Amino acid sequence: MAFTNRLRSFIIIGLLPALTIYLLFVIVPILWSAYYGFFDWKGIGAARFIGLDNYAEALKDPIFWRALKNNLIIVAASILGQLPIALLLSLILRKSTLFHRFVRSAVFMPMVVSSIVIGLIWGYIYHPQIGILNVLLEQIGLSSWIRDWLGDPSINMYSVSAPVIWANIGPYLIIFLSAIQNISSDVEEAAKIDGAIKGKWLYLIVIPMIWDTIKVAIVLCISGSLKAFDLIFVMTGGGPAQSTELLATYMYNNTFEIYRYGYGSAVSTLIIIISMILVLGSQVLMRKRGME
Amino acid sequence: MKTIAPGRVPKTTTNTSSRVLNFRASWLLHLFLLAYALVTLYPLLWLFISSFKSNQEFFGSPFALPSVWQFENYTRAWEIGGIGKAFLNSVIVSVLSLVLTLFLGTLTAFIVSRLNFRFKGFIMMLFVLGMLIPIHSTLVPLFILMKSLGILDTYASLILPYTAFELPIAVFVIAAYLTSVPKELEEAAMIDGNGYWGIFYRIIVPLAVPAMATVSILGFLRFWNDFAFALVFINKQALKTLPLSLSMFSDGYGTDYSLTMAAMSIAVIPTIIIYLLFQNQIMKGMVAGAVKG
Repeated sequence: MAFTNRLRSFIIIGLLPALTIYLLFVIVPILWSAYYGFFDWKGIGAARFIGLDNYAEALKDPIFWRALKNNLIIVAASILGQLPIALLLSLILRKSTLFHRFVRSAVFMPMVVSSIVIGLIWGYIYHPQIGILNVLLEQIGLSSWIRDWLGDPSINMYSVSAPVIWANIGPYLIIFLSAIQNISSDVEEAAKIDGAIKGKWLYLIVIPMIWDTIKVAIVLCISGSLKAFDLIFVMTGGGPAQSTELLATYMYNNTFEIYRYGYGSAVSTLIIIISMILVLGSQVLMRKRGME
Repeated sequence: MKTIAPGRVPKTTTNTSSRVLNFRASWLLHLFLLAYALVTLYPLLWLFISSFKSNQEFFGSPFALPSVWQFENYTRAWEIGGIGKAFLNSVIVSVLSLVLTLFLGTLTAFIVSRLNFRFKGFIMMLFVLGMLIPIHSTLVPLFILMKSLGILDTYASLILPYTAFELPIAVFVIAAYLTSVPKELEEAAMIDGNGYWGIFYRIIVPLAVPAMATVSILGFLRFWNDFAFALVFINKQALKTLPLSLSMFSDGYGTDYSLTMAAMSIAVIPTIIIYLLFQNQIMKGMVAGAVKG
C-alpha cells in the first residue's frame, strides 16, 4: 500500500509543473481567445460584451478575405513549388557520395536560418533601387523586367512566396528520399528490364508507390504555410495598402497596432478554426483519393 | 503516415539507374546539381560577403568580393548596434528555456513511458493537441495573460511559452527513446532502495542523454530564431533578442547596410555552426517533428 501511495505522489508531483506550464500557456489561451472574441475591449478599461459582432465584422471585412486568399496563395505556392522541386531532387540525390550529401545539406540549410534574416535578405534582393535582383536584370540586359517586386500589388504575393519556397524544400526532400528508398530495388530492376524509360518510371512506378508520402507532404505544406508570418512581417508588414496581408498579420495589426484586443481575439479563434478545417479537410480529401 | 520510416535520413542504396546513364549525362546532372546548390546557397553567401564590405561597395559592386575585408563591421554592429546585448539576451533566454524544457520533458517522458496510471491516454492526447495549434493564434490571449500575470517585458515572458510549446516534442522524442530500454534496470534500482526520484536522476536521466541531445538541438534552433513571441511580449530595448533587434535594425540603421549585414551574420553564424555539426540529427528531428505535428 505504501508502495502505491509513493507511486501516486511521485506521478502527481512529477507531472504537475509540466502540465501547469503547458495548460496555462498553450491550451488556456485558446479558450481565452474564443471568450474575449465576444467582447469589445481596448486592452484597458472595461470590456463590453457584444456577442458575435466581432466574428461577424471579420467575416464581412474584405481585408479578412484578402488575407485568407493570400494564405491560400502561399499554400498553393508551397504545394506547386516545394513538392515538385523536392521530388525531382530526391530522384537524383539518392547516393551517399560527398557531392550528393553536400547538395542535400545546401538545400536544407535555410531551415536553420532565422526567418527574420531570410526576410531581410530577400528584402534586399527585391529592393526597387538597390536590390540585387533588379541590378542583375539590368546587367544581363533585361531592364524591361525590372519591377518594384514587393510594392506592386499585382505581383508582390508571388514575390513573397519565393523565399517561402526557397527556405522550405529541405524537409520535403528528406521525406521523399526516405520514401523512395523504401521502393525495393527489385521493382526498379523489373521496370528497367521492361524497358520503362525515365519519365514513365517516375509516373507509373515512383509516384504511385510514394503517393501516401506525397499526401502527408501536402498536409504539411498546408499547416506549414500558416507559419509564414515572420517572413511577410519583415518584408512587407502586410502592405502596401494591405495587399500582402496574411491572417496572422491581419490579427497582429488589428490587435497591437490599433489596440482592438477583442477583435484580435476573434480573428485568432477564426485562424484556429480555419487551420483545423484546412488540415482536416485536406486529410479527408486525400483519403478519398487514395481509396479510388 | 506509416510509409515514412520515422526520421530515417537516407543512406546509400546501390544506385542502379546511374549505371544506365552515360558519362556525359551524368556530368550534366552534376553540373545541374552544383548550379542548384549554389543558387540555393547564394542568398546566404551574399549576406556573409556583403557583411565585410564598405557601404560604397555594397551599392557599387553588389556581386563582387570586398576589396578590403572590413572586419570592423562586426565590432561596430556588436558595440554600436547593440547586437552584443541582443546576443546575450538570446543566449540567456535560449539556455534557460532549454534547461526547463529538458528537465520537465524528461520527467514527464519518464512518467508516461515507464509508469502506469489512469489518465495517461488523456495527457498524451493533450500534448498531441498542442502540436496542432498554430502558434500565432495564441499571441493575443498570451499577451493578455502575461499582462495580468505581470510578466510582460521580462525573460519569463519568453521562457515560459517557449518551454510550453516545446514540451510536446520533447516528451514524444524522449518517451519514444525510453520505451526502447528494458525495464529491468529500474526494478534492480528499486530493490537497491532507490525511490522514484532516485531512479529518475540515477537511471533515467543518464539513459535519456541521446534523446535529450536531439531535443536540445531542435529546441535551441527554435528558441534562438523565434520572432513572434519576442515581438509581442518584449518592448524594453535592454531585453530584445537577436531576431527582434534585427527587425528593428533596418529602421535605426537603415542606410548603414554593412552594419546591418554584419549584425544579421552574427545572428546566423551560431545556427549554421550547429547545423554543420549536427546535420543528421537536425534533418531527422525536423522531419519527424513536422510529420507528427
